[in-house]
Amino acid sequence: MADEALARAGLHFDEFNKIRVLEPEVAQQTKELKEECKEFVEKIGDFQKIVGTFIDMVDSVAKEVEKEKIKALGARNLLKSITKQREAQQQQLQALITEKKMQLERLLRIQQDALLKEEASQNEFIDQLILQK
Amino acid sequence: MRLKTSLQKEPKHSELVSCVGWTTPDEVYSCADDHLILKWNLTNNETSTLLELPKECYPTSMHWFPKSAQAAGAKKTGSDVFALTSTDGKFILISRTGRVEKSVEAHKGAVLCGRWSYDGTALVTGGEDGQIKIWSRSGMLRSTLTQNSIPVYSVAWGPDSDQILFTNGRQLVIKPLQANAKPQLWKAHEGIILCVDWNAVNNLILSGAEDKRYKVWDTYGRQLYCSSSHEYPITSVSWTPDGEMFAIGSFNTLRLCDRSGWSYALEKPNTGSIFNIAWSSDGTQIAGACGNGQVIFANVIEIRLEWKNFEATLTASKQINVRNVMNDATEKLDFRDRVIKLSLGHGHLVVATSSQCYIYNTKNWNTPMIFDLKEGSVTLIKQAEKHFLLVDGSGVYVYSYDGRLVCSPRFQGMKAEIFNHQTIALCNDTVAIRDKTDEKVIYVFDAQTGKAMADGKPISHKVEVMDIGLDQCGVTSERRISLVDKNRDLFITSVRVFGAERKIIKLATMIQAHVWNDESNMLAAMTDGKILVWYYPNAIYVDKDLLPKTLYEKDSSPFGKAPQLVGFLGSHLILRRSEGSLISTSITPYPSVLHSYVMNNKWDDAVRLCRFVKEDNLWACLAAMATYAKDLNTAEIAYASIHEADKVQFIINIKDIPVKEARNAEMALLCGNHQDAEAILLQAGLIFRAIMLNVQLYNWDRALELAVKNKTHVDTVLGYRQKFLARFDKSETNKRFLQYKEGIEIDWDKINTKIEIEYQKEREKPTTGTAVARSATTRS
Repeated sequence: MADEALARAGLHFDEFNKIRVLEPEVAQQTKELKEECKEFVEKIGDFQKIVGTFIDMVDSVAKEVEKEKIKALGARNLLKSITKQREAQQQQLQALITEKKMQLERLLRIQQDALLKEEASQNEFIDQLILQK
Repeated sequence: MRLKTSLQKEPKHSELVSCVGWTTPDEVYSCADDHLILKWNLTNNETSTLLELPKECYPTSMHWFPKSAQAAGAKKTGSDVFALTSTDGKFILISRTGRVEKSVEAHKGAVLCGRWSYDGTALVTGGEDGQIKIWSRSGMLRSTLTQNSIPVYSVAWGPDSDQILFTNGRQLVIKPLQANAKPQLWKAHEGIILCVDWNAVNNLILSGAEDKRYKVWDTYGRQLYCSSSHEYPITSVSWTPDGEMFAIGSFNTLRLCDRSGWSYALEKPNTGSIFNIAWSSDGTQIAGACGNGQVIFANVIEIRLEWKNFEATLTASKQINVRNVMNDATEKLDFRDRVIKLSLGHGHLVVATSSQCYIYNTKNWNTPMIFDLKEGSVTLIKQAEKHFLLVDGSGVYVYSYDGRLVCSPRFQGMKAEIFNHQTIALCNDTVAIRDKTDEKVIYVFDAQTGKAMADGKPISHKVEVMDIGLDQCGVTSERRISLVDKNRDLFITSVRVFGAERKIIKLATMIQAHVWNDESNMLAAMTDGKILVWYYPNAIYVDKDLLPKTLYEKDSSPFGKAPQLVGFLGSHLILRRSEGSLISTSITPYPSVLHSYVMNNKWDDAVRLCRFVKEDNLWACLAAMATYAKDLNTAEIAYASIHEADKVQFIINIKDIPVKEARNAEMALLCGNHQDAEAILLQAGLIFRAIMLNVQLYNWDRALELAVKNKTHVDTVLGYRQKFLARFDKSETNKRFLQYKEGIEIDWDKINTKIEIEYQKEREKPTTGTAVARSATTRS
């Protein structure tokens, strides 16, 4: 009875007979809610932390990827230029080869030809001398 | 020939190097866009900074003040100075110690090039503003030579420092320094011309352009050589000081070429563009200014010489390999210093290094003769059988093969540094040098004493002489000098003339080159498409009609276009084709055999040889030789063999003359020297013959003069004169004859008896021999 009267007045007793303004159930629920909220906040905090590290990680990976990308790009360019360099080198070597060829031609073929011709004419001359005697 | 290049591991300059210059053969200076002037010591490979230029100063070219001018002028040793041009429109004179002596505001925009004249009296600069300015030694403006619309990329001085060559876009321009002289210009390239050089020794012009070609020109603007197209523009060209070779620089390219244009060697160093090339004064080393901050150095090695069975090759800068082809024996000769010049010939190898001269005999390679050289820059070695000649900056020296200084000929105004193979000739007893200040003049010296011959009076020709030569054999008094003049006519004359006027006789026209044989007095010359060999050029002194018969012509077309004549050894002609290969061809060996017989007075053998060979030109040679030596029997046989009946008749007549002097005179007549003949007769007191000689030549005045002077045979002269006039149906107009005719009766009986008496007297003279014996004439 008294409880009802008190309840009307907005007062309640809990099971430990302590006087309460809220209904014990509500109070209980509130309390639970509070607990849950706290838990939730904690969890969210944890999540944020995790997400933070994740983002960091992804960032670093991105950086790495970027680096690699540039590297790859450079390598690709290098590859391209290498062919060009090779071409230039080839050209240089070719020039050296033609030069050498010309030199050898000059030195060996033409000079030798001339010498052979001279030898032949001298042999002919000697033969002629022998025949006449 | 090859270039041995060396580059530093790391470039010493951080920016492109724009110019280099040598002071001594061991010291190089280089300037670059990093504003530094570096000094390179090549003996210990050290580099030091000479000077740091202000930040706004980017050098474009440098040129050291010419050494020869310095020695001649005030003797301020160590006051070496160079001119540096830069992009801020100034040129700076900087001393060797790095002190800026003067900085002169010269052009609007960059100064692109600057060169000292050879005599050191003037500096020329060319700028981006298209102007060319001449400055005095101290940097005062003398004149503005021209004003063009295009930047002047390169300038060069003419050999006499009185002309300037410069670039004008695709054109080359030669402008004399005189104010109103007309410039000579011609289109030279298809692209902008970037670099030019003009050599003082060979007077040839070299140009390189953006059309990737280099070309060689003569001073008339005629193209002598055009290279094939390179991959990149030609950025630098440079002649060696002696004008025998030149170097070409381009992107990653360094090329060494012969003066006629063909390439000795190509190097592809990793240098970037070579913007400037400089030769050391001895012409053995190159420094190049490279686009990547390097300075490239190169040595000329693998110079190859051949003589008979020996082959000498400069394998490294201080080493020569000699190979005897006959037995394949090789010798390795090492030297303490860099080899500058070497020459192989006449059984000796002469090597000039930067401090000493080594003389090796081809029979003994172990013990050379060595002597020290005063100046370490020999520019020319010439060899003869008994001695050789060295030319360096200060003079000409004749040394014997045992290393003794024989003499050192010199004349007023001699410039030894510009002598070349064309302007100096040597034989066993004579040195001939063409003057530079007056190109018509040739000085001849006795090679034993170094004294000028003929009282120091030089041989002077009517036209500028381009090329001279001396015959190598025979006796001293018959030495002949050959010369090719500016019109390319070949002349011959005797070196020693006694009394008489010097006769310079023309042998041929359009001669490109000529060379005497080393063993006998044969002369070979190159003309358009033909090689000419005079088996006995002396024939022109004996009998002009014989000369064409002693000439041998050979078609030069099998040897390619425009081959050069290099040598004439024994019966071998050595030619160089236009692309550089050396080839040899032979002539018949008989003329040289004939020469040797005649030299030893073996006339019977000579006749036998000619009979064996049965060739007209050999007989003609023998006829000329025998006539010259006054060997009448041989001459008669030889003339008979070439069907010269008139000459044979004449010789038979001569043989009948009892007096030796008269015979000599008649021989002189046969050679066409009537003046000599008369001189001989008068000297021997044969007045009558001298008079008759002039009568027969219709030289009436002289005949009468002689007759009157000696008071004999006046009536004879008058008689012949009368006969002559009667035959031509003329009356006497000559005053002197009219004068003497009076009072002298012409009685032919009397004249004939007088003549008979003269002949009788001759026959009775005690000196007369019987029949004409073999006149073992000493070839006086």
